[in-house]
Amino acid sequence: MKNSIFENIIAGSYSLVLHIGLVALFVMGMNTQTRPVMVQPHVDIVKATVIDENSILAEMVRQQEVEQKQRKAEEDRQKKVDKQLAETEKELARKEQEVLAQQERAKIEQQQRELKAKEQKDKIHKLEQERKVQEQKRLKAEQARIVEEERQQQAEQASLVAEERKQKIEEERRAAEEKKRLAEADRKAEEQRKQDAEKARKLAEEKKRKAEADRKAAELRKVEEERKAQIAEADRLLQESLAQEQREQESRRIAGVVNQYAILIKQRIKRYWIRPTGKSDDLVTTVKVSLIPGGDVKSVIIVKSSGDQIFDRSVENAVFKAAPMPWPTDPEAAAQIKELQINFTATR
Amino acid sequence: MNKLLFRVIGFWILLLPFHAHAVLTIEITGGSEAALPIAVVPFGSEGFAAPEDISEVIRNDLASSGRFAPLPKSDLISSPHEKAEINFGDWRLLRSEGLLVGKVSSVDGETYQVQFQLFDVYKSQQLIGKRYQVPASGLRRLAHQISDLVYQTLTGEVGVFSTRLAFVTDMTASDGKKRYTLEVSDADGANPRSVLQSKQPILSPSWSPDGERLAYVSFENGKAEVFVQEMRSGRRDSVAAFKGINSAPAWSPDGKKLALTLSKAGNPEIYVLELATGKLARITHNSQAIDTEPVWMPDGRELVFTSDRGGRPQIYKVSADGGRASRLTFEGRYNASADISPDGRFMAMVHASNGKFYIAVQNLTTGTVQVLTEMGHDESPSFAPNGRIILYATEQNGKGVLAAVSVDGRIHQRLGESGSDVREPAWSPIRK
Repeated sequence: MKNSIFENIIAGSYSLVLHIGLVALFVMGMNTQTRPVMVQPHVDIVKATVIDENSILAEMVRQQEVEQKQRKAEEDRQKKVDKQLAETEKELARKEQEVLAQQERAKIEQQQRELKAKEQKDKIHKLEQERKVQEQKRLKAEQARIVEEERQQQAEQASLVAEERKQKIEEERRAAEEKKRLAEADRKAEEQRKQDAEKARKLAEEKKRKAEADRKAAELRKVEEERKAQIAEADRLLQESLAQEQREQESRRIAGVVNQYAILIKQRIKRYWIRPTGKSDDLVTTVKVSLIPGGDVKSVIIVKSSGDQIFDRSVENAVFKAAPMPWPTDPEAAAQIKELQINFTATR
Repeated sequence: MNKLLFRVIGFWILLLPFHAHAVLTIEITGGSEAALPIAVVPFGSEGFAAPEDISEVIRNDLASSGRFAPLPKSDLISSPHEKAEINFGDWRLLRSEGLLVGKVSSVDGETYQVQFQLFDVYKSQQLIGKRYQVPASGLRRLAHQISDLVYQTLTGEVGVFSTRLAFVTDMTASDGKKRYTLEVSDADGANPRSVLQSKQPILSPSWSPDGERLAYVSFENGKAEVFVQEMRSGRRDSVAAFKGINSAPAWSPDGKKLALTLSKAGNPEIYVLELATGKLARITHNSQAIDTEPVWMPDGRELVFTSDRGGRPQIYKVSADGGRASRLTFEGRYNASADISPDGRFMAMVHASNGKFYIAVQNLTTGTVQVLTEMGHDESPSFAPNGRIILYATEQNGKGVLAAVSVDGRIHQRLGESGSDVREPAWSPIRK
């Protein structure tokens, strides 16, 4: 591991340098605007720092091949565009000028660059040295760091394990808790459900009970109303009956009075009736008697004659002689007495 | 509640008759047969004294009948003589059913005018009114006629006040011998006239149905003979003078025959004598018993007589043509001297009980017997022509007197005032 990282670092360094170089080259190449073939020497330069020559070579070959292909294509294209070239000759010439100027500038720049490259080489060397030292130091530090890191990692690992365990425990706990919670929740839910059910049941029951109560109350109310109505009806009937009874009592009282007076009148008339002797026993005379208040006789009308004038007269006279009849003070009784029908029968 | 309802309905049912407002009806049965109260106001006489107090005669007639109760004179509130003077209310207060008013005025010295009016007090209405002119001698008889009219008007029955009574009196004359007199009086026993006088006994006077003749038994010829005497002329004939006893004559209802008791065959038997022809028919044939005292049933088809054929005197009935007799009386050991009421419903008789003789009446329909008298010395019952009263002879202080009793036994009266013994009364029929 250590090695790979290390190697990686080295490779990275190389790669960095190479890339910087390549970039520089490319920039330079771009600056010169030379033909591609002119770029080659730089490739050589780079070669010197190749670490993996084969791959670069291969790359180079591949690049060459590409370039060749490109060249070929270019050539083909050139051929094709010869005419265009001719046309662009002037352009080229101008560009040549420019390129010359460019070259000049490039020479100077080359020198500068070479200088710079030398300086840079030194510098790089020095830097390399420093870097090596630093690298050493860094390696050491790195190693220490790695150790430390490892230790730390181990610690961390342990911590992690612990942590994991803890977490696991925690998780388990949590799971348990969760489970418990879930169970609890379930239980609670169940309970809730039960409660709900109970509540619902109770509610339903309550509702039912209430409905029943309502129904009973309504029934009771109805019964009560009926009872009240019955009581009222009974009361009414009672009142009516009482009134009726009172009327009847009054009627009975009056009837009693009337009866009493009828008897008195009968006795009185009978006392005054002198029936002619020697008459047949089956003579019957019916008279209608009208009395005036006080009991005096207003009229005696023979409704049905006996056929015997003398007998009839005895009857009439009996009524007249009996006057004034016993007369009730009660006006209603008197009213019933003021008109009488009397049947007189000769029978001894 | 149902109970209540039931009660309510029950009451209604109970009370239905009351609610029907039927006229109160009273039943009265019976009543009394008491004397009818009548006010007989003394007739006005316009300042002279009438030879007869007509109203007084009437008053007595009515009272004697037992059917009327004339108010005492002291109760008379006023003395009206005609309708204009009457305040009917006054008489109603007295409970008088009838009111008789009248007056007598002198036409000349011998003739009187009499008028009367009978009022129904309660109707303030005249029931009858008449006016007469009579000689002074006719005043009393007129009074009886008025009595008859009043009686008839108020009772509906024929009055008998104008009828007469026949009876026999006997008295011991100054020579110590008996004198028998057949007399006829007014119905009230007053005004007796002698019809026949004899030193020998006179018995069993009997009025002809027309009231013009009397048949009787006289011993004037030394034995019992039957005579018929005309009242007006006084002519008399012996109709039965057979050997033996000739007695107990009784006129048939048609007045053509006499039923008699004759013993010409040796034993007293009942015969019927046809007056016009003298033809005699024997009715009874019982030689072992005495058959006597025949009377006719009103229809004239049967005879009722007394016979001891049963051992003791009892009354029997037999066809007027003869035949088998049937016994009528079964109460008591002695029943005799029958008389039949004009309507044929009752038989009066002498009924003996405990050795005493009473007047009894037997209902011929029912057979019931009612003893009417109380003294126990009674004989010879005779019905008044209206059948209401039975005249009979009785004894008072050892002397024979006339008495009358109503058929129902309620009214008793003595008739006549005579110093002599009175026997064998017979009530005349209504004068035609």
